[in-house]
Amino acid sequence: MPILDLGYRPWKGPLQPAWTRWLVVASTGISLVWRGTWLKRVLILAVVPVLAALTGFVIFEQSVNQPEQRRDFLRAMLEQREGRRRLNNQPTFSDRFNIDVDEVLKSPEKTRHVAWSFMLFAFFRYPQTFGMIVILGLVSPRLISYDLRSRGYLLYLSRPLTPWEYVWGKACVLFFLLAMITTVPALIVYSAGILLSSSPEAILQTWDLPLRILVASLTLMLPTTAVALAFSSMTQESRFAGFAWFASWIMTTITYGVLTSLTMIRDQSDPSSLLRERWMLVSPYQTLGHLQETVFGLTPDSNYQIMPWIVVGLVTLVGFGIAYWRVARTLKA
Amino acid sequence: MLDKSPNNSDHILEFQGVSKRYGQHLALADVSVAIRPGVTGLLGPNGSGKSTLIKAILGLVKIDTGSGHVLGYPWPLQTRTIRDKVGYLPEDDCYILGLQGIESVQMMARLSGIEKTEALRRAHEVLDFCDVGQERYRNVETYSTGMRQKLKFAQAIVHDPPMIILDEPTTGLDPAQREEFLDRIAALSNIHGKSVILSTHILHDVQQVCDSVVILANGRVRLADSLSNLQRPARAGLHLQVIDHADRLSRELNLLGFQSQPINAQLLQVWELSDRSRSEIWRASSQCGVLIQRMEESKTSLEQTFLEIVSGPQNANS
Repeated sequence: MPILDLGYRPWKGPLQPAWTRWLVVASTGISLVWRGTWLKRVLILAVVPVLAALTGFVIFEQSVNQPEQRRDFLRAMLEQREGRRRLNNQPTFSDRFNIDVDEVLKSPEKTRHVAWSFMLFAFFRYPQTFGMIVILGLVSPRLISYDLRSRGYLLYLSRPLTPWEYVWGKACVLFFLLAMITTVPALIVYSAGILLSSSPEAILQTWDLPLRILVASLTLMLPTTAVALAFSSMTQESRFAGFAWFASWIMTTITYGVLTSLTMIRDQSDPSSLLRERWMLVSPYQTLGHLQETVFGLTPDSNYQIMPWIVVGLVTLVGFGIAYWRVARTLKA
Repeated sequence: MLDKSPNNSDHILEFQGVSKRYGQHLALADVSVAIRPGVTGLLGPNGSGKSTLIKAILGLVKIDTGSGHVLGYPWPLQTRTIRDKVGYLPEDDCYILGLQGIESVQMMARLSGIEKTEALRRAHEVLDFCDVGQERYRNVETYSTGMRQKLKFAQAIVHDPPMIILDEPTTGLDPAQREEFLDRIAALSNIHGKSVILSTHILHDVQQVCDSVVILANGRVRLADSLSNLQRPARAGLHLQVIDHADRLSRELNLLGFQSQPINAQLLQVWELSDRSRSEIWRASSQCGVLIQRMEESKTSLEQTFLEIVSGPQNANS
């Protein structure tokens, strides 16, 4: 017999609004993935490229009174060819984006905008897209598949939470991680650029870049998260979801490379920029890259395409739709 | 516009004409039932529709037809509000991989809208009530079946819901844990006024804690009544326990005008009683030399009622 036994006590107190409950799914998911020390190491590695972008901003802003150095820096940046392949007809960035470096240099306002946009684009396009693939491949497979295996979804959905809110909460775990390697570092780099610039005009010249960073982040996050959650929801074995995730990136990249090469062999006169656009939709990596070019205002108006936006939008809807359908369907079992 | 306020009914749950079909299988067939506050046992063989009915109450499965009220809220229009007011212990072994026991209960409290720090405090309080000690700091996947049942119970009651649905709650518990579990259910109902729906196959549990019983079979409600009514025999009678030779006493009683039937060497049943019956029974016992050890009024066993109803005609809807 206990000396004191409080037993059960009723509870009265204020409750959070029902529409905020998905935040618990998100915060619990973040708390769980954050426990992995390996994830923290990968995140640190994924943020390292921000140093390169930061260095670029420092060099650019240090050259404000040295036009020759600024011109050399801009040329070095824009007049290189993309990728490791040094094909004869591989255009430079300035060709691809239709940027005349000499013309740009005449206007200080335009110079800063082009340089900052390009550096932020390069940050998103190459290291962070790769980092996104690795981090989502490591984290996303278990997000829903673990709950399907342990029937944890019943715990969530027996409370005032819809399958949509459950999926959205899980998506927010990935949004958080992706924001940690894309949005936050990019905004830090931008803020550093503002602080490094000698003139307050820098804010007026580049006020749109934070917005472009947010849109570029969403362009990267939404479709990739939707696909990752769809894979995770389709199996109770997270390793299968992880395999499907990496395999889809590798296979689409190989397919894109093969199709591009075959077309180049068949028709030597095709400029490679057109080749890229012809087969772009086969590769999510190329499609997302094209959209980021557009978001950072680097795509020439003549080269603007609506189809990649439609495809990415459809993939996002289908991905979230599959995840929802799988979660809702398991309740009937 | 939805009616946000609960209606004032004596029943915690009222369903009319609820049907649910999975392909060719009719899981719930025109179910109409009303449940009063207290502990209600939900009985039925496997595949009778118990789990579907529970999931339908929570709005986890979409019904084909039917309507009703749960805790006064229109159902199925306000299942989200209803889920906020109901604690659910699922039959399935379900947990969130990687979370400690205390974190699991805290998370469920937060999902019900309790603020994070208060949710942790409340989780500790409820785990104390459920007799979960330092195991609460272990990851849930390392728990034994009994521990998981306790954890699920704590998760179900952490937000202090007025109605608790327990689906096979005593599965995997040893006898002592089972008794404690049933005591907790009784305490929640009797002291704290909770309404409990207890879905189980263990009829002893129902007899021990339930006030009323709903029996489902083939997706239909076959019976809904109070436990005391169900246990009242059709004919008044006595149940006698003797040391031995129940058949000898039975013959003696039959000669005196009673209707008697031995059940085994130590038990017999006696009917056709009158005001003088008990004294005559004692006299008969003395005459035939069979010592009566125990005498009590006959009760129909719940098991017998259950088997009769489940094996009866399918259209005997309550």
